Formats: sequence, C-alpha cells, structure tokens
Amino acid sequence: MRRVIGICDLHNEPSLSGLTDKRPLGAVTFLGRYGLIDFALSNFSNSHIDRVYVLVKKGIVALRRHVGSGSIWTNNTRLGYVELVINEKGLRHPAFNTDINNIKYNVPVDELDFEYAVIAPSYFLSSMDFRPIVEKHIASGADISSVYIHVDNADKDYLRADKYKISDNKIIKSSPNLLRSKEADISLDTYILSKKALKKIVSDGTKVSELFSIKDMINYYIEEEILDVHPIEFKGYVVPILNLRNYVDHSFDLLNYHIRSQLFLEDWPIYTTTHNTPPALYGKDADVQNSFVANGAIIKGKVHNSIISRDVVVEKGADIKNCIIFTQTQVGKDTKLEYVLADKNASIKEVKKISGTPEDIVYIKVGVKV
Amino acid sequence: MLNNNKVVAMILAGGKGTRLEALTKKTAKPAVSFAAKYRIIDFPLSNCANSGINVVGVLTQYESTELDSYIGNGEKWGLNGVHCLMNTLAPRQTEEGANWYKGTADAITQNIDFLDNANPEFVVILSGDHIYKTSYADMIHLHETSKADVTISVIEVDPKEASRFGIMAVDKNDNIVEFQEKPKVPKSNLASMGVYVFTWKTLRKYLKHDAKDEKSEHDFGKNIIPLMLKDKCKLKAYRFKGYWRDVGTLASLHEANMDIALDKMELNLYEQDLNNRIYTQDTYSVPQYIGKQGHITRSIANQGAIVLGDVDSCVISTGVTIESTCKLTRCVVMENAHIKKGARIHNAIIAPGVVVEGDAKINVGSDEVVLIA
Repeated sequence: MRRVIGICDLHNEPSLSGLTDKRPLGAVTFLGRYGLIDFALSNFSNSHIDRVYVLVKKGIVALRRHVGSGSIWTNNTRLGYVELVINEKGLRHPAFNTDINNIKYNVPVDELDFEYAVIAPSYFLSSMDFRPIVEKHIASGADISSVYIHVDNADKDYLRADKYKISDNKIIKSSPNLLRSKEADISLDTYILSKKALKKIVSDGTKVSELFSIKDMINYYIEEEILDVHPIEFKGYVVPILNLRNYVDHSFDLLNYHIRSQLFLEDWPIYTTTHNTPPALYGKDADVQNSFVANGAIIKGKVHNSIISRDVVVEKGADIKNCIIFTQTQVGKDTKLEYVLADKNASIKEVKKISGTPEDIVYIKVGVKV
Repeated sequence: MLNNNKVVAMILAGGKGTRLEALTKKTAKPAVSFAAKYRIIDFPLSNCANSGINVVGVLTQYESTELDSYIGNGEKWGLNGVHCLMNTLAPRQTEEGANWYKGTADAITQNIDFLDNANPEFVVILSGDHIYKTSYADMIHLHETSKADVTISVIEVDPKEASRFGIMAVDKNDNIVEFQEKPKVPKSNLASMGVYVFTWKTLRKYLKHDAKDEKSEHDFGKNIIPLMLKDKCKLKAYRFKGYWRDVGTLASLHEANMDIALDKMELNLYEQDLNNRIYTQDTYSVPQYIGKQGHITRSIANQGAIVLGDVDSCVISTGVTIESTCKLTRCVVMENAHIKKGARIHNAIIAPGVVVEGDAKINVGSDEVVLIA
C-alpha cells in the first residue's frame, strides 16, 4: 500500500516489572523466540505497508539489536524501511518525551508522500490485516478510525485499557476499563488517520497539552466532539500484554494448540530476527512435555509446561515445571524450578530449588547467578 | 583472516547425486537438507565465510534452479558485503558454443573468465556435498609458505577402507609423491578430501592444456593431479583433523545425521563462538512444540516442528508433524513431512513433504536404511 505509512508507537507501553526495567516492552522475548514488537511489524509487512516508523521512547539499543536493519519486515528493501526514531530532546525532559513530539522531530510528515497512516502499539498481539481496515476507514469518511475488539472477559482482563462507548457508528466515550463488567468494547490503540488528521494531532498537541500522547489527543477529540472517531471492530484473536500477569498467563495459554492457532494464522507469518542457532538438542534423559523449545537449546533434564528460549541449557537432573526461561540462561544439574520466570543470561546452579506459585511467579533478573 | 580477495573459492555443486535416489530427483545434492535445519552446501559456504574468503563461485548444473535460488546473493552466509562476490555459475552458451560441464576441471575451465576477473593468487576448489567445519586459512597458509603448486587436504582413514578413496602417498615432509585412485594395494591411509588449494597461474596453465587434450576426462583427480605429478610440480598434503563426511549415499547421509542427533559433538554445531557457526536460511515458524504425550530423547529438532508422539534418536526438521502414539527411532525426518497417528518407523530417511499414513509399520527391526519418498 504505497499510500499508507505505518507508525509503531512504543511511547505508551505498560510496564512488565523487571522485564521492562532495561528494555522497551517491544524488545521483550515472547514464546522463546519472538520480540513482542514482531507482531505489529509483521502485521505492517503482511499488509504491504512498507514504510514504517517505530517511535521509541527509551531503550533504543535493545530494540535496534532486535530489529536490526528492519529488512526482514520490508518487502522492497530499496523503497521500504523500518526506521527507529527517538526524540533526543525528550530524553533530557522525560515528561515531554511523547509520541507526538517524536513525530514532530523525526517524521517528515509534510514531505512524505502518503494519504493515510496506521498507528499500532506493541502490546496487543494479533494477526491483523490492515488493508480491509484502511478500506473501511476510507469508506466511513471519518477523520480518524480506531480499531476495537468486543470482549466478554473485561471483568478479568484488559485492566486499564480504553473502554469505548459506541453509538450510531461513532465512539462517544472512552474511559479506562476497571474490570466492572464482562462485556466491553476495548480499544486496541490502533488508529487509521488521514495525513490531515495526523498533522492536526501534531499541531493541536502542543496547543492542548505538551504532555498529551496521540491516544490522549484522540480521546480528547472524542470527549470534546471535535472530530469524528469511527469505530472498526477487529474480529480476530488478540493477546493483550498489559502487565506481567498478562504476559505470563498468555504465554502459558499459547501452549494450547487451539489458542495458538488463533493467534498464528497459516498465511500470516510473524517474522523475527534470527540468530543462526542450531536445532534444539535433546539428551538421552530428556523428558519434555507440553513445552515450546527454541533453537540452540540443549535439554538433558525434565521440562514440563514451560517455554524454553534460544540457547538455554537444561542440565541432567534439572526439573523445570511451569517456567519461562529466557535466552542463554543455564539451569544446572538437579535444580528444581517451578513457576519461575528467568530473564536472559542467568545461571541457576547453586540454589537447588526455587518455587513460585501460579499467582506469584518468581522473577530472576538478567545475568544473575543464583 | 585472509586478505581480501587474494583467494577465490570455487564450489563444485553440479553433481546429480544418483545414490541419494529420490531425494535428488528434483534437487541437486548440495541442496539436500541436513541436520534438521541445514542444507549440505551450508557447510562449505559457512567454512568459506568463516575463513574470510569473500569471492565464491558455485558451479551448478543438475537441477540447479532450487540451488541457485537458495544461494541467491550469498546473504545467508554474509557473503553479500562490499568486498564480496557470490555467483552461481551454470554452464552457458558462449562464442565457442554451448557445453555441459564435462568434468570437475572442465567446470572451472569454462569459468576462467570469472577467475580472471577476480584475479586471485590462490583458488580453493571445494566439493558442495561434504559435511565438516574448518577454516581454510591454515591450509592456504601452508600452501603459501611451502610455495606449493597445489595443496590437497587429506584425512587419515582406516587402512582397511583405504581402497574406497583416492589415496595420496607422501614423503617425510608431506610432499605428495603418488596418487592412487581407489587402489587395491594402498600405499598410505591418507585419503583426498577433494579440497584443493591451487596457485591460480599454475592451475590456469594446466586447465588450458587439459582442455585441448581430447583423451582427458577433464577431472581433477583423474587428469590434472596426475599430470602435475608427472611434471614434477610441488604437491603438498594438508592433514585435516576433525569430523569430515562425504554424504553421497543414503546410508552415509543417515549416519552423519545420527552423529548429530546422538550428540557425538565431533562437528560441534553448538559452538558458542559466533565466528565458527554454520549459517543457513532461517524459517519464520513458531518454536518447536513438544506435546503432552510427546517424548523426545537423543534427538535434534528444528523450530516449527510439532512432536506429539515418541521419538528417539531422530532428526526432526522444520514444519514436521509427528502425531500422537507414533514411535520413531533412528529416523531423519525432512522438512514438512507428516507422520500420522500410530505409525512406527525405524532407520529411515523421510523425504520432504511426505505423508506417512496412520499405523504404518516401516522398516521396524531392520538395520538397513530406507528412504520414504
């Protein structure tokens, strides 16, 4: 879609506790091999949106390491690009480090040849084809469209996501979901807008509040009835990653084939950076059940209901249940882990038993030895 | 690391691989898959990359389309950098007419223009169907310092097996004094690996000479090397130490796969040194999933595989599905094969995309390797 640019907005990412201490949510490992941002970038790529700006708030090093040149998401590597942009001024004044300021300083909105922009976050995972959504937006004649999903578990999930009130094919109210009702229309913070509307947001932003994000501005337009915001329902499967609990629960849910096959569609590949790792190796005493194992892993012990990332080593006699183990972490001989989330490069060899609970998973930091 | 472009590698990848039967019906042998995620040619190409060789010509002929597109611009092995040149060289029509490659030497002769353009000091001739990890830098260094005309990589083989190979007899300084092709009475146990370093000027002269010889089979082992020996050129043996396999038959392909599944580690694919890895094409698939009733031991498996059954001593490639209640032992399951419920298979290579019906019983109890294609 030559007329459309993509904007992946990482400014309003929720915190995933320790996982996002040193890296943006988009760069957090998922299912042992992806970065969370892969879903948004792959949706742009598969929708043939070949010019993509990633608005980075912080942690650009981790992100650049993951995204690289961006060519794996780009169709034509001369015409297309995935550009990571950061608002350097905003780094000195964190409160003003908003997505609007980032666009203002880094995205040449005036000069760029495009008619529509699609803005998507990193924290709602889905296989979303933007092409029919852009068509619906154009047909609606609205200035801005916002993609939402109708859910029946808003009393349990989607905490603090925007909940829409829709009337007459128009969004009339947006408020945070406080888990008060089962049924709700939840905003996926995914917007389609014309070049004109994008320019208006950028220029209004500074006039209304320098601290406002794109999302705040759109909610302001809804509240003040300044612009029509058109709702577009997404009927596919969405995995919300709004907090650490979400991250853990949904990771384990995806071990189930029927859930997994709703997120990963056959004709909708999720691209990710690859690392020339050899296939996973299983030893003669390996005992692996109901688990994801990424390449480069060496498994000589027991792994049940768990997610094992790239280059993880599980030594003989180790016993891992209901755990998520990140890249290059080592689990030593006869070490027993249950409900543990071990970040990258950790070494768990000396302590022989660590147990969390389903409600309270034990987090082990990057690079620590325990 | 070697200087830029002092060395050019030419990889012979045109062979039909008849002894791999149906596996090479529509694919050149070097493009056959290996160890769950690789293709055979990844090994020589990664070795070139890790040796700092930037200019590589791959000589293709038989069913070259898949191999050509796999090789592409060399990006998978990092051979698309500013000082790099990666070319597949299939036979082509020229002013002199059109010819297939008539032998290994003829394949190089027909591409003298490619080499003249690159203008290297040394040419490394490699085979596209060997499994091994090495840096050619040491061998080239030996060639250069000993001022040899050609250096041939040799490996010690069991003396009882020596009559299956091309054998090099050497003097006490490892100068080659005699070459015997599959001898009844071998004069040494040093087998040629089909890996040569030539001084380009000398090789060029011999290729031109060989091209005019109507009786020649235009083969390095049969013609060029014996002639150089006769002419008293300096031929040096380079002793290779480590894991090396020619995977030209179903049995040897199966065995080399088993070496990796059974973690013999001689090849060490799990090397942490990033400059010594084998590079290949990665697929965009979800991580491998081992099911609730799955059981996998002494095996390797690649991303995108789904193992719901019982697997021991197997190689499971991308996109393979092994349904529940299956029992697979000593199987090499190539990409996208699907083994349905209850099948029992032993000692087999299962070709890409094959569907094995439920409850099938194949080769159970046999020591012979079978191909399921």
